[in-house]
Amino acid sequence: MRRPYALGLPVFHTPRLRSLTRYAGLCLGLAPLTLYLAALTLVPVVSTLLLSLQTPQGEWGLGAYRAITSHYQFGEAVANTLLVTALGLSLELALGLAAALALAGGGAALGWVRVALLVPLGVPTIVAASAMLYIFGTAGYLNEVLYRLGVIDLPIDWTGSRWRAVVTVAVADAWKVTPLVMLILLAGLQAIPRQLYEAARTDGATPWQQFARITLPLLRPAITMALIVRGVDAFRIFALPLALTGRNLPVLSTYAYVEYLEYGNPHTAAASSTLLLLMILMAVAAYLKLAGREEVLR
Amino acid sequence: MTSLRGPFLLVMVLFAAAPLYGLLKISLSPPAEVMTAHPTLVPHGLTGRHWQRVLDSGQIGAPLRKSLLVAGGATVLALLLAGPAAYSLVQLPLRWRYGILTGLFLCRMLPEVSVAMPIAVVFLRWGLMDTALGLTLAHLPMALPVAAWVLTAAFGNIPRDVEEAAALDGCNLWRTLAYVIIPLALPGVIVAALLVWLLSWEEFVLATYLTLGDKTMPLQVYYYLYQGNAFVTAVAAVIMTAPVLLLSALLQRFIRETSLAGVVR
Repeated sequence: MRRPYALGLPVFHTPRLRSLTRYAGLCLGLAPLTLYLAALTLVPVVSTLLLSLQTPQGEWGLGAYRAITSHYQFGEAVANTLLVTALGLSLELALGLAAALALAGGGAALGWVRVALLVPLGVPTIVAASAMLYIFGTAGYLNEVLYRLGVIDLPIDWTGSRWRAVVTVAVADAWKVTPLVMLILLAGLQAIPRQLYEAARTDGATPWQQFARITLPLLRPAITMALIVRGVDAFRIFALPLALTGRNLPVLSTYAYVEYLEYGNPHTAAASSTLLLLMILMAVAAYLKLAGREEVLR
Repeated sequence: MTSLRGPFLLVMVLFAAAPLYGLLKISLSPPAEVMTAHPTLVPHGLTGRHWQRVLDSGQIGAPLRKSLLVAGGATVLALLLAGPAAYSLVQLPLRWRYGILTGLFLCRMLPEVSVAMPIAVVFLRWGLMDTALGLTLAHLPMALPVAAWVLTAAFGNIPRDVEEAAALDGCNLWRTLAYVIIPLALPGVIVAALLVWLLSWEEFVLATYLTLGDKTMPLQVYYYLYQGNAFVTAVAAVIMTAPVLLLSALLQRFIRETSLAGVVR
């Protein structure tokens, strides 16, 4: 592992000095990135935390948290965030897994299908929101297709009720990010040794048994990774609910945004941002613990 | 199972393509085809009127310029910051390399609304609010972990012997970098650059917090959308998507040439 020179600067010849220059070179390379990242993420997060523990008069206390928890929209925002996350993740995992399985066995002929399926991933969120608005609008394409198929007579207001708005936002989110889940699972699938399936077939395992006993257990690390990456993003969802429903479907991020930019109250905004941060940390920790325990049990 | 593969993939491709087709169609459709209880699914007539209107409005040039400036600036700065870091990471033992990259990614998990508000307060004080420079600096943190990861993978893929051979031949650090490392890692560098550019191009939350009047493209699309004009929104959305499709195609080409497995080698 030892390199003969430190970042190409092989000046000193005693081992101690050499390792010292090497160390200095590595720090020099890493420092700008880490310091910058810390200054623009960790410092703001801590100052938001401190802000949430102060009143507008500058006294310390939990006043901001009391204010938001007694606000009816905050409870709704928490519930909506959880609902959109749960529904969106289920959709993305189901579709992503199905697509990954379909692509994995298909060989090179499916290369262009893979490229086509990846397109939404690059499409800007706000563009996805505009497109979804025309699909889920009252006079939108979904209603028209359903009407022509004879499923409905009267148009459905897809963002009218809270439940339908949750479904709409979750589907819009799934449209954009299912390809990411698919990519992660596809990488996981390709890491499973072929021989396992050959052995299972020799022993007379049905395709379903192969899926349940080989694919799914060995895919677990990839699924964990996809759930964490996507779950954290879903908790922070912002542009889609704002653009698709206006203020009708508050989630935690948009709640903090409205508190700050519309009501001009940085303290309650900071409190709800901090609770969102806590939710993210708790979800990641809980999931990692759970996934780790199952690993041990098996 | 196998017989279901074709139809399922076809439905998925349609699911992926339909919203984009809808946008493009609306941007070119006469109002009568869209502003009705029963919009047409295939275009019956085409019109360039909405495009004309957006391009003549004078509202699209400034956001386009600002977004291009911010995304380009973020790309250059991200490579300048993440490049040395990635090159250093490659020299570290695997555990450290992996640990530091994970730490960088943990910074990406923080809620943007937590990060954006204090930045907005500081930027107001420093006069960086509403500027392309300010937004560029704010976009960097979310791009840096991605750039560092891709570049670490790219540098990690280069065999040690190549570097040592360059050193034996008398190359110093800079010559080794310029003639050996960077050319060999070029596909990875391009992938990192494209990913950063795409992230910055579509960024919405920080742009919302750090903008008073000078909108970026995402904010301009949101502004049109909020006003409720389907046609100009669709035109602006198509304008925003066009470079993305082009760069995504490039990205897929270069991702095939670089192996991201190098990060854990």
